[in-house]
Amino acid sequence: MKRRILLFTCLLAGLSIILTTVVLNNISYRNLVLEARQQLKAESELVGAAVNMGGLAYLESLSPDMETRFSLISPKGRVIFDSRANLGELGDHSDRPEVAEALATGRGESFRFSGTIGKRTVYYALRLRDGDVLRAAITVDSVYMDLFRLLPFMIVAVAAIALLALIVGGKVTRAIVEPINKLNLNAPEENAVYEELSPLLSRMKRQNDVIDAQMSEIRQKQAEFTAITDNMREGLLVLDQDAYVLTCNKSAMKLLQSRIDPSVRQNALAFNRSDAFSEAIGKAAGGLRSESVLRVGAKSIQLIATPVQGRDYEPEGPDPDMKGIILFLQDVTEREDREKLRREFTANVSHELKTPLTSISGYAEIIASGLAKGDDVPRFAANIYNETKRLITLIGDIMTLSRLDDKGTAIANETVDLRGLAEEVIERLKDMAYRKNITVTLSGGEASVQGLRQALDESLYNLVENAVKYNRPDGKVEVSVEDGADAAILTVKDTGAGIPPSEQERVFERFYRLEKSRNNAIEGTGLGLSIVKHGVQLHGGEIFLDSDGASGTTVTIKLPKG
Amino acid sequence: MRESYQKQLQTLHTELIRMGAYCEEAIAYAIKGLLDDDAELRRKALEMEETINEKERAIEYFCIRLLLREQPVARDLRQITTAQKMIIDMERIGDQATDIAEISAFMVGSAVKSDIHIADMAAAAAKMLTDSVDSFVEGDIEKARRVIEDDDLVDELFTKVKSELIEQIMKDSTKGGACLDLLMIAKYLERIGDHAVNIAEAVVYSIEG
Repeated sequence: MKRRILLFTCLLAGLSIILTTVVLNNISYRNLVLEARQQLKAESELVGAAVNMGGLAYLESLSPDMETRFSLISPKGRVIFDSRANLGELGDHSDRPEVAEALATGRGESFRFSGTIGKRTVYYALRLRDGDVLRAAITVDSVYMDLFRLLPFMIVAVAAIALLALIVGGKVTRAIVEPINKLNLNAPEENAVYEELSPLLSRMKRQNDVIDAQMSEIRQKQAEFTAITDNMREGLLVLDQDAYVLTCNKSAMKLLQSRIDPSVRQNALAFNRSDAFSEAIGKAAGGLRSESVLRVGAKSIQLIATPVQGRDYEPEGPDPDMKGIILFLQDVTEREDREKLRREFTANVSHELKTPLTSISGYAEIIASGLAKGDDVPRFAANIYNETKRLITLIGDIMTLSRLDDKGTAIANETVDLRGLAEEVIERLKDMAYRKNITVTLSGGEASVQGLRQALDESLYNLVENAVKYNRPDGKVEVSVEDGADAAILTVKDTGAGIPPSEQERVFERFYRLEKSRNNAIEGTGLGLSIVKHGVQLHGGEIFLDSDGASGTTVTIKLPKG
Repeated sequence: MRESYQKQLQTLHTELIRMGAYCEEAIAYAIKGLLDDDAELRRKALEMEETINEKERAIEYFCIRLLLREQPVARDLRQITTAQKMIIDMERIGDQATDIAEISAFMVGSAVKSDIHIADMAAAAAKMLTDSVDSFVEGDIEKARRVIEDDDLVDELFTKVKSELIEQIMKDSTKGGACLDLLMIAKYLERIGDHAVNIAEAVVYSIEG
């Protein structure tokens, strides 16, 4: 804008100088020609009078260097005398307008281009007394020559004015432009600059308002979207076609245990570098949906990577159909763990069932083939019997456990008298205790909880049975029932070999048995404490195991009364 | 033009993360191959080294092209020179993973490794590498500093492993060969720790200047 204004100013100044010069020059030229004509007329009259008196001799006496050229032409048009040109070269002059006019009226005048001297010439013709015509001519430089002479002055003037225009124009332009530069575009209407700008500014304001409204709508929608995705339990990552993250919700950050700043444009790799993750993204980028499980720390995260394809907008990039990738993350640790437990359980059950069956099958085969001698048969039969009993116990335990598993959701509520239950359990185990000479005592008071009698019975039975089974001969088992403020407490204390602290966590696992109990060939399925745990958990209770791993174990069960 | 330049810087960042991930994998394969006597994992570690080398060359070329074409300054320049430093350390880590995998091939069936703290040391070195790459990904200067401190832990473990190996040789000189192999592995792990420190230092430099 500044440049344009400046350019126009300079152009205007230059143009006006040129125009003025041309016009002025034309006027002065006209004056010059007029002056020349008057001078010529006076000179002609004077010389005419002299020639009338002195004849041709006067003319010949005139100096040929005179500015004025004189010719004498006969009435027939023949040139008798010429002060400049050679007579022989001059043709018939009667057709010259001034000569013809003088022959007719006595005086003639013309202003034309002279073929003889090649310049603009003013002519004046006068008929003498003898009928000859005296013609005077004076040349005038053409108007262009005149202008040409003025050219240097004009250039200087134009340069001076252009310089002036540059300085003044620059200042003026600055003065005009400055308020425009200082416009506050955020509040266009508040500017009081030029009236001419107000339509522009008011339109700007309207557009600003529209943009503000649209922006706030977008922000609102974004906020809603974020609120929804951030409250999702599943992780959600939306990637563009180059696998850069467009959206990432809080759950995704948590599940991937990522601490990077999600507001910075990042490749998905920055969130997780594992092979499985990049492979899933690679597949999705190739248009394939995939499901995989990632290990993040101790967690198992299921990852579903889905390519997003379509031609909704102008295609770009190597695959025009590829728009982006959506990653869906879900914590499946619990499910995976359960699955693992289930597999282990099945493997254990199969193993535990197979061991007695193998012995049974072996003994039975020997008897059936008649290889067993008479005395051996009852022994083998007894072995078969024992193994069968073990099988029955095992299957009973497994059934108990699966029953407890099933009851996880629907628990029948009845009031269970814990002291009565303990007495009953001890009574049932009396024989077993007697055989090892173990004293079982019951202390404490009355206590009752709401729950499932059978489940509690199984728990307590298994607990006291373990206390007897793994006790040393002549040992002691103390069972106590206490009624707390909000929970009933059952304690079973034995004088057995104890459980080493390192194994205390594991004894509640299904089929887990301590090494020493295996070695001592004490019969057991490895399911007892698992049943106890399940029974207690079913009632929302807690179980504590206290043992130094050398002398005795105390198991405490807390059952909430509510 | 400028947008594409920014994109290229982002690509550089992403490629460095990818190379870091390859290194982590190579180490994981090598260590697991050693501890579990698994030939398949050792082979994977060797394969991974080639991938790492290719990536190093690609990133190096990429950096040079960026430097020549874009003539970056200030932070961008630092980012690129840091990348050039980091890939050298990462490539060395890849080499060391290969060395571990190669040596462990001679140690199949040897029980010495379970009697010394080599698994702890391997875990510590792998963690340093993971943390250094994490610090790069997250731009976390504190984490980078912690990696630099963690090097002492790996160094201590190296000394411990060394004295344990001496003990083993004194107890049973027939285990000498395996013990020496393990000492070399321990040294490689210690070197991996040093390279992780270098990466962490590069991260600190790229952020702080």
